[in-house]
Amino acid sequence: MKGCSFCSCMLFTVMNGKMTYDNKRNIFYFPDSGDIIRKRRPSKVQSDDVGKEGQDMKIQQITRDKDEYMDLLLLADPQEDMIEKYLDRSDMFVLVNGGDVCSVCVVEQLKNRKCELKNLATRVEDRGKGYAKYLLRYICERYSSTCDVMYVGIGNYKRVVNFYEKCGFINSHIVANFFTENYREPMYEDGVRLTDMIYLKKQLDSEVDVKKVVDLALEAGRILLKNGAEIFRVDETITRICNSFHVEYVDTFILSHGIFVSAENGVEEAYTKVKQIPLSSSHLGIVAEVNELSREISGGFVSIEEAKERLRRIDQMPAKKSYFQVLAAGAGSGSFGYLLGATALESLIAFGIGCVLYIWILTAKKYNISKMLVNILGGVLITALALAAFHMPFPVPVKIDGMIIGGIMPLIPGLAFVNAIRDIADSDFLSGTVRMIDALLVFVYIAVGVGFTLSVYNNMGGGLML
Amino acid sequence: MIHDFIMHVICPFAGTVAFAVLFNVPKRFYLCCGCTGTAGWLMYHMVSGYGGSSATASFCGTLVVVLLSRILTVVMKCPITIFLVSGIIPLVPGAGIYYTVYYMVNNEFAEATRRGMESAKVAFAIVLAIVFVVSLPRKYFQSSYYQRKIRKG
Repeated sequence: MKGCSFCSCMLFTVMNGKMTYDNKRNIFYFPDSGDIIRKRRPSKVQSDDVGKEGQDMKIQQITRDKDEYMDLLLLADPQEDMIEKYLDRSDMFVLVNGGDVCSVCVVEQLKNRKCELKNLATRVEDRGKGYAKYLLRYICERYSSTCDVMYVGIGNYKRVVNFYEKCGFINSHIVANFFTENYREPMYEDGVRLTDMIYLKKQLDSEVDVKKVVDLALEAGRILLKNGAEIFRVDETITRICNSFHVEYVDTFILSHGIFVSAENGVEEAYTKVKQIPLSSSHLGIVAEVNELSREISGGFVSIEEAKERLRRIDQMPAKKSYFQVLAAGAGSGSFGYLLGATALESLIAFGIGCVLYIWILTAKKYNISKMLVNILGGVLITALALAAFHMPFPVPVKIDGMIIGGIMPLIPGLAFVNAIRDIADSDFLSGTVRMIDALLVFVYIAVGVGFTLSVYNNMGGGLML
Repeated sequence: MIHDFIMHVICPFAGTVAFAVLFNVPKRFYLCCGCTGTAGWLMYHMVSGYGGSSATASFCGTLVVVLLSRILTVVMKCPITIFLVSGIIPLVPGAGIYYTVYYMVNNEFAEATRRGMESAKVAFAIVLAIVFVVSLPRKYFQSSYYQRKIRKG
């Protein structure tokens, strides 16, 4: 591999406790007691504080006078001429915390979408605070768009190897006798002279993509659930999207009101997200569209960005025009009224009642009136209108039964009912029960509204009117 | 004859399509939704015409609706909910709720109970039919399954 011969990144040489760098004398030495470094390492509590300190923690790219940071660079690579070999054609980043440069790293862009981490070092007094890890993660994200693999060559120091393995690097290859051929001073680990350089590598797209993919999948799931899809469809869609973007380990837990997704890729930490989804109106057109999109994604035709954009557009898909909905509700009321035994005239009145009822439903939706009130008042409205029609001087006398039954139809929670049954059939008992109660309560609300109006009317007429 | 046709074909068709509109089903599925609803209602009507109880009739009607929905889902490549929800609306016991309330208001509790129980029975029949057909393995609804069978002989 090109670039190997120049490379030399013995990160944290000092952290070993065997070899120490002295700023004043500008040399490495072996401390008598290896504990010097350990005493300086802050405790774990401090290392958790990176987040808080991170408020004024910044990462900057250095383009000029890279030599200024030679002191820091020498911490990881003891020979100055080796550093100068790669410094000019590499990118340099420093982590600045509170005005001080704490960490520095150098990355060289290689051919074929590869890059190599040449140097990564942290000030002695700032070790163990997670700065290097933070910097490394930033670098990985930054280079993930231009590179597929990041290499790093290190000496065989256990601590260094452990550090990189924790950051998601895996073994790649070994360059034999690298240190003996390129370094004048011999270096030792546990008394054994270092000879070979170990190369580790990391796939760069993984970490960033898990987040992106899960966000995308979750958004798709949210839109599905919001618009009245069954639990298993939401589950299937999320898993399908994640898998087709190479996120293999996905766990989902979906309720009628929320989605929990946890995804993992390789050894890096898991990514978990929870989304609360309030019950709202249904739009089966959107469900169909998202379903179509998920099909295309698993076919491999859609990129993440494209899918995101399409989801955004699907989510904004408008409902049918209000007047169209009102007419449809009327048509539904009329035809079902006729179907269930009303005369032609009664069906016509049912048509009118259905239209008025739906105007009320749409108005209520606009002002976010609670479901309970919408349905009870809807029942009252239907019955009152039917009773009014009952007293109209039509040429043929009309009965209220057909008109009320027809009028009730648009209120019936067909979608909630069917979804509840399907969820229960799929063993999603929790969501199924919630939706079933939702559906049954709507039936009860309608009954209360109709019953209340009928009994008021009945009492007004002294029990003789009906 | 014409009256029967209007009553049992046009009405359920128009009603089902109207509900498809309310559920915001895309236009291209209207025809299929209407056919599903009509087929379900015709089955219901036939069974109750031969003397079946309303629960039995609802069960058979729902079976037809769900079977048709599952086939249409595979053919049209879209969620089953689209056909199922619209198709089942004619069978939902809307009238049962009304009569239960009506008799209750009139203090005829025996009749109210009878109507209420009947509505519950119908609802259960629908649930049973849906669960029954939905539990059938997916492969029976894919044409590739039958093509393979035919090829094998």
